[in-house]
Amino acid sequence: MGLETLFIFLVLTSLVLLGSSLLHSSIRVVALQGAALSFLPFLVMESSWAGRAVFLAALTMGLKGIVFPILLNRSLREANLRREMEPLVGYSLSLALGIALLILAFWLAGRLHGIGVGISTLSLASAFFMMFIGLFLIIARRKALTQVLGFLVLENGIYAFGLTVVGHIHWLVELGVLLDVFVAVFIMGIAIDHISREFDHINVDQLDQLKG
Amino acid sequence: MLVVHYFWILLGLPVVAAGLCVLLRAPWAIFTALIGMAVAETAVGALLVQGVFLGAQESAAWGWFYLDALSAYHLAILLLIYLLSTVYAAGYFRHELAAGLLRPAQIRRFGILWCGALAAMALVIISNNIGAMWIGMEATTLMTAFLICVHRTAASLEAMWKYLLMCSVGVACAFMGTLLAVAAAHGLPLSGSDVLLWTQMRAAATQMNLPLLKLAFLFLLVGYGTKAGLAPMHNWLPDAHSQAPAPVSALFSGFMLNTAFYCILRYVAIIEVATGGSGWSLHLLQVFGLISIVVATAFILFQEDVKRLLAYHSVEHLGIISLGVGLGGIGVFAALFHVFNHSLCKTLAFFSAGRIGQIYGTHAMAHIRGTLKAHPVWGIGLFGSFLALIGVAPFALFMSELQIIFAAMDGRAYVALALFLAGTGAIFIGALKHAMAMAWGEPEHPTPAPAAGITDMILVAGSLSILLAVGLWMPEWYRSLLLRAAHIVEGKL
Amino acid sequence: MNAIPWINMIVALVLAPLLPGVINRTKARIAGRDGAPLLQLYFDLWKLLRKGAVYSRTTTWVFRAGPLIGLAAVLGALLLTPFGKSGAVLAFDGDLVLFAYWLGLMRFVTVLAALDTGSSFEGMGASREVFFSALAEPAFLLGLLGLARATDAISLSTILPAVTAATWLAMGPALALIAAAWLVILLAENARIPVDDPNTHLELTMIHEVMVLDHGGPDLGLILYGAALKLWVMGALLVSLLTPVRYGVAWQDALVFLGGMLILAVGIGLIEGAMARLRLARVPQLLMGALALVALALMLIMK
Repeated sequence: MGLETLFIFLVLTSLVLLGSSLLHSSIRVVALQGAALSFLPFLVMESSWAGRAVFLAALTMGLKGIVFPILLNRSLREANLRREMEPLVGYSLSLALGIALLILAFWLAGRLHGIGVGISTLSLASAFFMMFIGLFLIIARRKALTQVLGFLVLENGIYAFGLTVVGHIHWLVELGVLLDVFVAVFIMGIAIDHISREFDHINVDQLDQLKG
Repeated sequence: MLVVHYFWILLGLPVVAAGLCVLLRAPWAIFTALIGMAVAETAVGALLVQGVFLGAQESAAWGWFYLDALSAYHLAILLLIYLLSTVYAAGYFRHELAAGLLRPAQIRRFGILWCGALAAMALVIISNNIGAMWIGMEATTLMTAFLICVHRTAASLEAMWKYLLMCSVGVACAFMGTLLAVAAAHGLPLSGSDVLLWTQMRAAATQMNLPLLKLAFLFLLVGYGTKAGLAPMHNWLPDAHSQAPAPVSALFSGFMLNTAFYCILRYVAIIEVATGGSGWSLHLLQVFGLISIVVATAFILFQEDVKRLLAYHSVEHLGIISLGVGLGGIGVFAALFHVFNHSLCKTLAFFSAGRIGQIYGTHAMAHIRGTLKAHPVWGIGLFGSFLALIGVAPFALFMSELQIIFAAMDGRAYVALALFLAGTGAIFIGALKHAMAMAWGEPEHPTPAPAAGITDMILVAGSLSILLAVGLWMPEWYRSLLLRAAHIVEGKL
Repeated sequence: MNAIPWINMIVALVLAPLLPGVINRTKARIAGRDGAPLLQLYFDLWKLLRKGAVYSRTTTWVFRAGPLIGLAAVLGALLLTPFGKSGAVLAFDGDLVLFAYWLGLMRFVTVLAALDTGSSFEGMGASREVFFSALAEPAFLLGLLGLARATDAISLSTILPAVTAATWLAMGPALALIAAAWLVILLAENARIPVDDPNTHLELTMIHEVMVLDHGGPDLGLILYGAALKLWVMGALLVSLLTPVRYGVAWQDALVFLGGMLILAVGIGLIEGAMARLRLARVPQLLMGALALVALALMLIMK
């Protein structure tokens, strides 16, 4: 029950991101999602892993729930952005596509469940859904910062998948996702700083000099 | 010394050198350190791979490090390309500094990241642990991202952002694939971290969950394929290659793409064992290879920028390699042969294009005329490498492409053959036109070209003669090495 | 024949106009006003029914028939609506489709009547109404489908009483998602804030109100009464879903149900008091959101 509620929460936060038009509230939603993910280790890991679960949870909460949002908010402030998203795909259409992706995610999860992953369809589906939404945000939103948010959601999906499916393998999930996300956001943050200094904006659609 | 020490030195040297770069200030000191490190690294690498070249296998650190014919071959190419690029970089950046285009602080940053890139790529090649392999790949992305914008211009930042984003997503996909591959091994009697070892996975491949493994391969192919520049995930590639400084472009094209493709090859081996050689993964590689060739053709014909032209050549040649592996049999052998040929040739091409770009002050081909007259050494380098790239006999690239044609005829893959011939034929004509226009004609603004140094001459003459020599005669040990590597890819070993 | 459904229906007919009164009262209290009397709509209806009607010469019989058929349609829906845990007057397998169609018919004739006036404002309102309900209706129907699937029944009168405390324990999240989506749809379909403001008289932003601008006298009375009944009907479904308690004694169940309706009305009043009307461009997004919730619930139930 707790697991189910958590996964539904993850799906709902991803949906909210599709409709969200303000950058700072999107950052908040992603932070919320990250914080929610930090409960996952307790729910999927066997009790013999208590120490590891606590470690993972603390790490997730610290990074995804606290550090990243602070970093992103800092970028937002320093880049002096307009707060609107200016999406390439409208919000309503985004949500409609989100519904299609949701169905796709459940279909895929059902298939995967069928070929012998002993994990509930819902957890697989919500992991896939987060990955899809992450990719979608990267493609369909114009701000570099939104793309970072999309990347984070994508990573959240992979993290949830990794934890539920191969959580029993030593350090794979920890090192993989957390290192990746940590460095990626760090580096992407620096990159955004550079870009905003050079261009006075971080609209990706204006990064279009290079063609052909 | 034990083998494991060599492995650790291989990884440790670049890290130490990076630390050294942090401390050094003068550009010449940094380049001395870099070249020294590259030479030492090459020496260590040579000691490591020589035994493997003769038929042995090296494994150390509880099997985490592993060197067989496939990885030793790639390691050798990596070290060769890296050494050449480092030597070239010293000359290239000296001119940039002299022209006031760079500050010494930027050289230092370049030095640190340049070392980091080597460590990351070496980690990918020598890891037997698919998790560590992935970490190396991720580190490669992060290390090289800022190498693209050593010159901080708007265009280079744009290229860097595209590269960072696309490759991060690609590498994230690859991680998903890695997780799925591990999940496919679930339930096998493999202990905790053993399940991540490639050798263990291959040994147990037939008992793995096949549908999951196939799904894993799809993610891995798309993920690492993005990094390898396979179309249609190649969009970052021309931007990054054209904006990066020439040594960085050379390393990107010369080896970073192959690093990613090497990862795919490792998984091809597992899939081939698991499916009992059904060729399922090979068909996918064929498709991606052909798409890459066709896409590259379209962009090469109407290209205006010489570095972008070379970048699309990379897409084409990675496509050819992918197609070769996909054809199986002699095609795998030819594709692996092509890896070396393309790496060396493309490195030389970027060296030449970079220096010629410096001399002419532009990369627009319309303004580059009479290179043979303006700067004979680099002019010959550019023209010669173009000839080799488009597959003029008897350069080595012609030989490997010819073998791929044989492989296609052997496998009765006539559609692939037709597309391959049409693509390379069109590129032959299109690129030759560009190359001849640049080589002859009168320079628009005759610029006082700096005299060619002895290193320049060695770089050009050495590379071209190796390409010629390997094309004309292949030593027996090289042939057997490639055969063994091909067997590994096909899962027959 | 069981008399309880008939009694329930008569209660509905009598009490329906009370709902808007409660909503407006709550809203007024939040804003610190006294507000209109609870029975205001009864007074309005009484006043309107005694008046004569004025018809534009450009209108046809369609315009006159609109309010009548609309009221008839909502009465048809009322016949199928279960109240709390006791069944509806009419119940048969698949009646949920007919239920949706009754509401659809009501909207259809209202829209026709609006178009019949030839006024551009009413056309605009009609266009919005149709667009929004095109988004709201699938969400509503899919929610019903989900419930049907969850309870293995295909009649409103068996589905809703079958939602018990045990059902909530088994698939609480999915039911909560459906309830949330239904609340959004209820607000949208009944022209409440945040979708539409029932008090506004600025044509450019109105949806429902603008469609009935040309109606007057008894016709307007019928429309107002029909709207109140529609609110009651849709509210009844939501309340039945949300109150899983069942005593088995008719009057106790009825009390629980009526209490639920009262709480719902107060809740709507609170929402209206607390929120501002959304920009029109945002409305489809809200409805899409509701559709997404229902889709998720459906996935959860069917998995």
